[in-house]
Amino acid sequence: MSDNNYLQVNHLVKYFGDDRAVDGISFGIPEGKFLTLLGPSGCGKTTTLMCIAGLHKPDAGEIRIGSDPVTSIEKRINTAPEKRNIGMVFQSYAIWPHMDVTQNVAYPLEIRNMAQSEIDDRVAEALKIVGLTDMADKNATQLSGGQQQRAALARAMVFRPRLLLFDEPLSNLDLKLREQMRVELKRIQHEIGITSIYVTHDQAEALVMSDEIIVMSKGHIEQTGGPHNIYARPVNQFVSNFIGVANLTEGRIVGNGGGGTGTIEISQGGENVQLPCLLADGLSEGDEAYLSVRPENVDASREPMDGPRIEGEVIQSVFLGNCLDCRVKWGEFEWKVLAHSRERLRVGEKVYVRLDPDHTLAVKP
Amino acid sequence: MATDTAAPQIDVAPPRGWRTWFTQENIITTIVGLIVAVAVIVPLIALVINSFLVLDDLGFDTEWGLQNYREVFQGRVIRKALINTAIISTGCTILATLLGVSLAWINARTNCPFREKLEPFNLIPFFLSPFVGAIAWHNLASPKVGLLNNMAKSIFGISFPLFNVNNLWGVIWVTGIFFAPLVYLFVVGSLRRMDPSLEDSARTTGAGLFRTTMTITLPLVTPAILSGAIIVFVTTAGEFGVPFKLSAPFGWETLTTQIFTKAVGDDANHYLGAAMSMVVGVVTAFFIWVQHRIIAPRSYTTVTGKGFRPNLIDLGGWKWLAFTYNMLYVCVAVFLPIICLFFVSLHKIWSGRIIWSELTFWNYQKVLFFWWPESIQAATNGIINSFILAFGGASIAMVVAIIVSYMIHRTKGFGARLLDFLSVIPIGFPGIVLAMGVLVTYIRTPIYATLWILLLGYITRFFPYGQRNISSIMMAVSEELDQSSRMAGASWLTTLRRITIPLLKPGIFAGWILLFVIFLRELSISIILYSAGTETLSVGVYYLSNFENEPMTSALSIAQTVALLICIVIFRKVAGKEALTA
Ligand SMILES: Nc1ncnc2c1ncn2[C@@H]1O[C@H](COP(=O)(O)OP(=O)(O)OP(=O)(O)O)[C@@H](O)[C@H]1O
Ligand SMILES: [Mg+2]
Repeated sequence: MSDNNYLQVNHLVKYFGDDRAVDGISFGIPEGKFLTLLGPSGCGKTTTLMCIAGLHKPDAGEIRIGSDPVTSIEKRINTAPEKRNIGMVFQSYAIWPHMDVTQNVAYPLEIRNMAQSEIDDRVAEALKIVGLTDMADKNATQLSGGQQQRAALARAMVFRPRLLLFDEPLSNLDLKLREQMRVELKRIQHEIGITSIYVTHDQAEALVMSDEIIVMSKGHIEQTGGPHNIYARPVNQFVSNFIGVANLTEGRIVGNGGGGTGTIEISQGGENVQLPCLLADGLSEGDEAYLSVRPENVDASREPMDGPRIEGEVIQSVFLGNCLDCRVKWGEFEWKVLAHSRERLRVGEKVYVRLDPDHTLAVKP
Repeated sequence: MATDTAAPQIDVAPPRGWRTWFTQENIITTIVGLIVAVAVIVPLIALVINSFLVLDDLGFDTEWGLQNYREVFQGRVIRKALINTAIISTGCTILATLLGVSLAWINARTNCPFREKLEPFNLIPFFLSPFVGAIAWHNLASPKVGLLNNMAKSIFGISFPLFNVNNLWGVIWVTGIFFAPLVYLFVVGSLRRMDPSLEDSARTTGAGLFRTTMTITLPLVTPAILSGAIIVFVTTAGEFGVPFKLSAPFGWETLTTQIFTKAVGDDANHYLGAAMSMVVGVVTAFFIWVQHRIIAPRSYTTVTGKGFRPNLIDLGGWKWLAFTYNMLYVCVAVFLPIICLFFVSLHKIWSGRIIWSELTFWNYQKVLFFWWPESIQAATNGIINSFILAFGGASIAMVVAIIVSYMIHRTKGFGARLLDFLSVIPIGFPGIVLAMGVLVTYIRTPIYATLWILLLGYITRFFPYGQRNISSIMMAVSEELDQSSRMAGASWLTTLRRITIPLLKPGIFAGWILLFVIFLRELSISIILYSAGTETLSVGVYYLSNFENEPMTSALSIAQTVALLICIVIFRKVAGKEALTA
């Protein structure tokens, strides 16, 4: 299966001193796809990317691009970064201030000893794709953040690398520009069809741009999957918490209905409730687990509904137009609810909380 | 998808020890690192070893022992020299600090008139040779041939000599005015970048101007003042030229003049010289350590960057007093010495008064016209050698500085920390001490008595100055600029050539010229390591002063000063106004 992947990383380990910054991770990506490494600060995303780029040498593992093993510690292979033919866009853009935009973009081609006429054509083409044709003669210091970003992208792709790497390229931009560049970057990547790896700690960015997301923490992979999959079916507490907003509470699996469904029991203040749910892979009866359900899949109303009863008190209620954003206190636990109820629930009222069983998940701790 | 999350847990130990990994980067940086380590460490080790070797009475054999150190602390002559060194260093530190702090305050924080014009003049002594300053002041204020004394006699009829610089006070005076810019440079930057709201808030609590300056401003710049003072103390302790010219001939020896007599001359005793060097070196290295480890980290970060324009204090009528004070400094440190030397150099014989009818450029022919058979070899050799050494030395030292900075800031691990340490060490040892180490290390090798040994001494002692210039820029330049060049397909060397070095260019130029200046006036290393044929400019001055006469000495001094002044102008052009301020 992994033979289909254009880039394949196996059992990558990288130490800094005695810290395992990257702890034996493996993943792959098919040609032309956009893969995102997502995770909190310090989880090893940059380190992983640097190992792929060849700027760091891992302590174990192998990396293969196409049929070319660029790193294999076992076989004592570690291709120098400049021999890997990989484009990279850095967080600081790293536009060389002593060159103008054209010189910056032409640099990789000069290094490859291309003919001047071809360099000119390719640079013009790259600048056109990123929309910087008018800025060709400007000095790097005269560019705005967004323009530097585009120049860095042009420089990274002008030599038609096998792979494009991005290390949080949008984090220095303001919110509006960032949202615009997300779409723009994705468009360009799609247009040139280049296999890309993107590093970010911004889950919204990851969800919008990626074909595939790898959620990382503390140097290892928590979950891999498409954006929808990661959002709708987190496999563990960490992912569920990191992506979007979720109601998360400890529980225990008490029944297995087959076909991935089951029952989870949660308890608060001496009250036990059993809820039907979808089981994450590998959970079976008797296991400790977390209940995870997104606020939009929780409803609250004054009338008791069928099924398991959770009765609580409204402690916050904000009207958002299309729905009601409430907090319902149940024992020590506060349910985050986006209620579709037409009734205005008021603070202090007793209400019943209902979870949508098709979107109620039991995830690993 | 094609991803296996459940990777088998693999056990890899954290990497230990050296891995053989031959890349351009590793090979070149390792070689340079080793060369630097050897160049810095070996002379110091040799110094330690030699200081414990005692020469027997016949002067042939040596044996291990502490006799040399006993001699330093108990021998009549050397102990007196040790005490003199302590007196001079302390006195000079006090004088230079008073001058440096007051001038810095006037220039940075008051409305003293013409202060922008005065600033560059305040810094000129930093670039000039204190040895030449001593020669000038000898001709200005020695009892017999002092121009000022003779003028006082003829104008006011004062028959006894008004001034006398041929003693410890004279040495303190000349070193004090020449090293004041060191304190000035440390303090002025600190004062300029101080957040004005710190002082403003003191004023709003009701503290007056004087009170605010004393209780807020000065304490805030105390670390800078202390840093400057320590540098001055260390520099003075290692200063050779000034005491050699002014006080040593009149019985006031210092450790440096004593080291000199033990390094060369009839009763040369390298082992005793090494022991004296050790004493000086241990003290100076300790002070530099204190400065680096304790004082520098404490400098308050009042530096909040741009935007601040500290309030200038309106001195009212006093501003003219401040102006006069600053002018006086510039006069005694720059104008008076240079003018005096110029007049002395135009006489065939100097008797302490200007004889207008006998002025001639004959001395300049003697010391400058190297093609002229009657020219003085030591002087003309010195000029040529010094330019060769300054040019070659500054260039090589900057290459070393670039690679060392690169290793410190762009590579991690033990080697980087070691180099960081190694490049502080030479700053802790005065030139004459390090030169003594170089001498005892290489005296039996073929490089002894060639220009190479001088080059080695210069670079070892002074490359840290260039390195600091480069490092400050390298810290400001993101490593990603280098990395993106590697990703674009450039090798490490190409990246160095096309990205790293061009980005460092301003720092490289500034550092190069600074080293060029230092090498062009260098005396205390050269005096230990030169031999016939490898004289330098300052050694030429020394030779003329010792074996010829004052006018000829002055002529060569003026030639050196003019060369240095040209360098200053270029330095200010390339490096910008604030390049030196710490
Ligand atoms: N050069 C280095 N030397 C020592 N430790 C390092 C180095 N680079 C990274 N680390 C450590 O390795 C771990 C992973 O760092 P990494 O830069 O990969 O995190 P990241 O996921 O990119 O975080 P961020 O989102 O903050 O960029 C961190 O704990 C970090 O402290
Ligand atoms: Mg990172």
